[in-house]
Amino acid sequence: MSASDDQADVERVLAGDIAAFEGIVRRWQGPLINLGYRFCRDRGRAEEMAQEAFLRAYRGLGQWRKDAVFSTWLFALATNLYRSELRRIPARTVSVSLDDIAEPADARASDGGLEDEDRDLAVRRAVLALPPKYREALILFYFHEMDVASAARSLGLPEGTVKARLFRGREILRGKLTQRLAVPRLKEA
Amino acid sequence: MRRLIRYDEDEMNRILSSEDEILPSSGFAVSVMDAVRREAAAPPPIPFPWKRALPGLVVAGLAVTLVLVAGIVAIAQLGRASTTARFSTSWSLSLSSFLPSATPPILHGGMGSAAIWVAMALLLAFVSVKLSMRMASGRG
Repeated sequence: MSASDDQADVERVLAGDIAAFEGIVRRWQGPLINLGYRFCRDRGRAEEMAQEAFLRAYRGLGQWRKDAVFSTWLFALATNLYRSELRRIPARTVSVSLDDIAEPADARASDGGLEDEDRDLAVRRAVLALPPKYREALILFYFHEMDVASAARSLGLPEGTVKARLFRGREILRGKLTQRLAVPRLKEA
Repeated sequence: MRRLIRYDEDEMNRILSSEDEILPSSGFAVSVMDAVRREAAAPPPIPFPWKRALPGLVVAGLAVTLVLVAGIVAIAQLGRASTTARFSTSWSLSLSSFLPSATPPILHGGMGSAAIWVAMALLLAFVSVKLSMRMASGRG
């Protein structure tokens, strides 16, 4: 994905060529939908939120200052929208409390460990059940391939704040997951 | 199979980094572009005609101010008169001629209670205006 393609398309749209916006949509639909999906774990809702993000981007194209890369601006806009949407109508999975995360049905494999798939699912559910500020920091951090600076730009927060939230979010996760998922082993021992 | 003893950072990073990517629906881009075209075709919102409304707003503002000042002065006069139990000033006389025989106790309670009632009325008006503006802007 080229930043110059984005810039060229934005200039064409601002000059009145609406069709040029399709290039932007096609380039960024995957990332925006996937970002939305990580927030709500609902494909339909992720697409709805991504569509609204594109519409807002279209309305606000003139406000994009070219000192930042277009994708940075777009992700910040989308993140802001997703966060407020999910605060307005929480995702069903998000409304689950950390204490309500059940152990997977097949909690132990033959050697006493969890099946990888179940364990991964439990971790992702636990992330969604975190308090919003930690959840958002973790989602953005991993979405941006563990780049704190990008996550901070998307969230519109200083890097230090994001690092602190990541640290605290991981602490909460570690505590809950170790406590809940390691219980079978401890009982066995 | 890996045993789960504790969630160290590497393990968490591995799990949360390995998210499955979902593909957009086939019609997603088309649907977004339809919405964008509808948006572009919609007429721009009509701006509020400030130039036309300004004289009326100024007159209305002045009228409200005058009424408030007149009301406060009248209440002040009433308060003063209540201490002598008679309306002696021309202001009070003219006001008393408009008041029904059974006037509410507020008009006989003196300056303090009158001021409280005025303040409450102003506060109520302010809250009503803020509330209606909030509802009109769709944030309510």
